[in-house]
This record gives sequence, structure tokens and C-alpha cells, in this order.
Amino acid sequence: MAKIDLSNISHSYNPNDANPTFALNPFSMTWENGKRYAILGPSGCGKTTMLNIVSGLVKPSKGNILFDEKDVTNLITEERNIAQVFQFPVIYSTMTVYDNLAFPLKCRNFSKEKIDERVKSVSDTLRLSSFLNLPARKLTADQKQLISLGRGLVREDVAGVLMDEPLTVIDPDLKFRLRRNLKEINEQYKTTLVYVTHDQNEAMTFADNIIVMDQGEIVQVGLPKDLFERPKTTFVGYFIGSPAMNIFDSEVSSEYSVKINNIEIKTNSKLTKLKDKNVKLGIRSEFINVVEKEGENTIKASLTRVEDFGNFKLLTANMDNFVIKSKVDRELPISIGDINLYIPPEKCCVYANEKLI
Amino acid sequence: MEKLYTFLKYTFITLWTVFIVAPFLWAVSTSFKDFQSVNSKVTYIPWLDFEPTLEGWRVLVKSPARGGVDIVEPYFNSIFVTCTASLVSIVLGTLAAYALSRFTFKAGFIRNNDITFFFISQRIMPPIVLSIPFFIFLSTIGLLDSLLGLVVVYIVLLMPIAVWIMVDFFNRVPKELDETALIDGCNPYQAFYKVVLPNSIPGLIVAGMFCIIFGWIDFFFAFILTFTEVQLLPVKVVALNSSITPWWSLSASALISVAPLIIVAFVVERYLSKGNLSGALK
Repeated sequence: MAKIDLSNISHSYNPNDANPTFALNPFSMTWENGKRYAILGPSGCGKTTMLNIVSGLVKPSKGNILFDEKDVTNLITEERNIAQVFQFPVIYSTMTVYDNLAFPLKCRNFSKEKIDERVKSVSDTLRLSSFLNLPARKLTADQKQLISLGRGLVREDVAGVLMDEPLTVIDPDLKFRLRRNLKEINEQYKTTLVYVTHDQNEAMTFADNIIVMDQGEIVQVGLPKDLFERPKTTFVGYFIGSPAMNIFDSEVSSEYSVKINNIEIKTNSKLTKLKDKNVKLGIRSEFINVVEKEGENTIKASLTRVEDFGNFKLLTANMDNFVIKSKVDRELPISIGDINLYIPPEKCCVYANEKLI
Repeated sequence: MEKLYTFLKYTFITLWTVFIVAPFLWAVSTSFKDFQSVNSKVTYIPWLDFEPTLEGWRVLVKSPARGGVDIVEPYFNSIFVTCTASLVSIVLGTLAAYALSRFTFKAGFIRNNDITFFFISQRIMPPIVLSIPFFIFLSTIGLLDSLLGLVVVYIVLLMPIAVWIMVDFFNRVPKELDETALIDGCNPYQAFYKVVLPNSIPGLIVAGMFCIIFGWIDFFFAFILTFTEVQLLPVKVVALNSSITPWWSLSASALISVAPLIIVAFVVERYLSKGNLSGALK
């Protein structure tokens, strides 16, 4: 249990080349003690590199890592007292389940009683108690992943538990329960949990704070609500939410308004200081409403598709070359043809150079 | 169709078995014959075709009363040389293979794969190329015609096999296994011998088997690098031949020469068929 500070960290896998490419661009971040963090981003964005830097498997090209203000940048993995769970189950196949779970404690010379107590407690949480004496290789893939997870949780004093998409191989039902278990463990032991995933639902339901990454860059850190309502870049808007945020090319027309296809849309952002008048307007499909009459901040569009998802309807409408998606109540009577869509100013996000104003 | 397939399958296996086993049966039968039974007419079955005798076997053990050739000492020499060289090769080869699999080496244009190929290239080279260098080398350090000299040469011959097999094996062990061990609190050496090595026992057994086979059957170097002091089994077996070919004792010595390999094959087969070869990592 520790506060983890990443200060000016950057990493390149070819630092000696003339033009090194950076897997991680310089960033600083603090992971508070006892909180749950999710690192979210597409494949190859540097999520795993970041975890490996924290656990010491990779030494960063630049920057420092501090656990509770103590610099651990030059400490090797075994001296950092950190737990990491990989995407695919890693088990010691020659040992029993019990020995697998006890291994991290044995390596650190815990007493036999303590090992026994911890293994019992963790195996109860993960429902592995009845398998303790079986050889680990005899278990199924998801049970093996539970062992991996268990080895991560068996030490109470770890600085943090880093998980690299740990629930990929686990079936959805168990996944849900495990996520809840992880939350409980976090609340009970105040373990700092860091969870890498590319599944936004997993991230949203699990974490206090979400770190969104793209191409080695941290694009936004925030609460699930912030990421959803105020994405800091158009990338976050696209990446978070299903469907992705509606983003329209538009032009600044007055202090608070932009024009899309000559339709004036009011926003709550002050746009006077912008040099480039070409901006992008982002609005979540959840916030676009169907209204009867044309009026201020409404767009007339032709509805081309209605998809019923059971709990909501997804409308796809066209306005010239723009496609607008809107999520509406499934009870709303609606038919193909022209509709009016209201865009609430307080929910509009204006982006200049892909960044939120 | 199904029946035809089964029929063909069993026919093929039967023929193959006969093909493999027949020479052994022939050798067993011949080892109990005497001069008369071999040279007069073709005979097959003891007591019916010919009167069995133990003469072919007795000749292999030297005794003051009856003379004979001593094959016991070369036999133990061969066991000693093969086992020692195999053991050293496996230990050194496994360490080298682990390093080649896990760490990146750079020396000029040389990379890990080049080093691995260097090891394998030692086996690609015809042995005759190495004979003169080995001869000069052993005579310089005074180990010509000695067991230790043979062990040194055999390590050179067997280690490439161990490296080759183990590099391939370690490459298939995910590096996450080592990383997990490090995270769980092992230092790199402990990670190797506590976690990676126990997972690699099937690979070690296969490598060990190959080393033992290649060490045991080598005739060429045993012939060139020894004279009178030390002799290995293959050389001694060939030396049994004389102007009148003693088929009976040659058969007997051939049988006891392959016996250890047959035992090794059975033990390894038992172990591998228990399913221990499957890595069980994912």
C-alpha cells in the first residue's frame, strides 16, 4: 500500500537510435494510496509499458518512480514489492494451487502460519479452496487466471497490484463477480489497484479514476462522468461511449456560437480568443433530443435508421454530409423521415485542434 | 472403408515391427551359435536348428583361465565418458540457452540468432574437419588417450545439441513466467532455478537423451583420440573382428552395446507419454 508517483517518465525501446520512437511520451502522474485506477486505451498505446515501468520489468528511458516518496527507479522488480497480473494466466505448473498462492510469501520468508492464513483467505475470496491440493496445471484456463490473480492479492503489504487486462480469459458472469471482489478487496485492504483494459465498461465500473491513453500520450485523467461529458480531446470522445461522440466540423460564428452547415448552434464555451475559426463541435448522442418544432439550437435532419437495443433506440439521421446519432427512449414513437433534433448548449464541447476549449 | 483403414494400419505396423525387430532377433540367435552353426548352413531356432552355446558371450569377459577380450572396462569407460560429458553439456548448455532465449546480445553484427547458429554449426561441420585440431589440442595439453580428454571432446560435440534443443524450448516458455517470478520476489537466479527450470524438465530430458545417444554411439573420435590406455565400447566392439569373423561374439557385444539406449528409450517414453511434455502454461 503506497502512493505511487510517476515523475517525468518517458520511455523508448530504441533510445540509442538517431530518431528514437517513444512508446511513452513524458508525463507525470500520482496514484493515490488505496484508490482504483483504470488505464484505458487502444492496443499499442503504451498501457503495458507503463505497468512494466512501475513494476520494474522495464527501466524508463527518463524520469523517476517514487513509492511513498522513496525513489525506486533503480530498484529491481523483486525489491519493489509490487504485484502484477498478466493478460494470460501464468502459473507454476509444477506446483500445487496452494504452493502457487504461497510462492510470493515463501520468497519473502513469511512464517508458515502467516502463509497458511493468507492463502486460506485469498482462496476463499476467489473460490479456489477446494482445489488447493491439486496440481495447478490440472485447472481450467479461468481457474488458472484466478491463481494468477490470487498470487497478486496474497501479499497484504504490496505497494500496488497492477493488472494487465486480467479478466480477458474469464467468462462474463465470473468477470462481473471478480470485478466486485476486487473492489471489495480494495476497500477492505486499501490496496492501490491499477487495471489496464481496452474495455470502457470494465474501466467505468471498476475505477475511481480513469486514465485514457493514445499513442504513448496520456490524453485525459478523470472520473468516469468527466470522460463521458467533457472529453478533453476528440479521441476521448470517439473512444469513450457507445456510440462514439457526434463530432461535426464547424466554424465559429459569434462569441458563444458555431455554425454547422449555416445552422447556428449556441454553446456554453467562449470562443472569442480563437485564431483559427475552424473548430469541431462534439455532442453525445445521449444528449440530443427529438423535438416537434424547429427552434433555437435545433437541426433538421432526415432520419434514415432506427435501431432498437431493447432499453433504448438509436437513431441515425443525415443532414447533408453529416451523420448524427441520437439515443432516445425506446417508448418514443418515431418514424423514418424528417425530424428536428435539439442540441442543448450546456452539453456541447467545442474542440480546436482536437482539444477541448 | 473404416475396416480397410484399420486393416492397412495394422498391416503396416506389423511389417514395420518385423523390420525393426528382426535384426535384433537375428543377433540374439547368432550370439548363441558356434562356428559350426554359423558357417555350415543357415540356422534359425536354438535346440531345433543348432545347439546353443554361451561361447560368444564368454569371450567378452577376460579371465586368466580362458583368455578372451575384455569388454567390461571399455563398457564402463563409455558409460563414464558419455554420462559426464552429457551432464556437463546439459548444465552449461541449459544456462547458455536460457541466456540466449532471454537476454539480448550484441557484438558488432552478431546477434542472439547468430550465436545459436554458431553452436549448431559445430554439428553441421563434418567431424573429420575437427579431427586434426582435436588431436593436436589433446596432445598439447597431454590428454591424448585419456578419459578426461575424451570427456572434453565429447562436451564440445554434445553441448551444441543441448543448446539447440533448450533454446527452442525456452523460447516457447512465455517470458511472463520469469517476470511473474521476479514480481513474486525471486531474484533472476531464483526465477531460473525455482520456476523456469522445473517447467523445463521435459526439454531437459529430451536434450539429455540426445546427448546420451550421440555420446554413446560415437566411434570416430573414440577411434582417433585413443590408442592403448583407454578404449571406448564402439572401438572395442570393432576390434573384436579378426581374420575369422566371430559373428557370435560380435552379436553378443552389439546387443549389450544397445541395451543402455533401449533402457533409456523406455524410461523416457514412459515419462513423456504421461503428458509431462505439454507445457501447461496457458
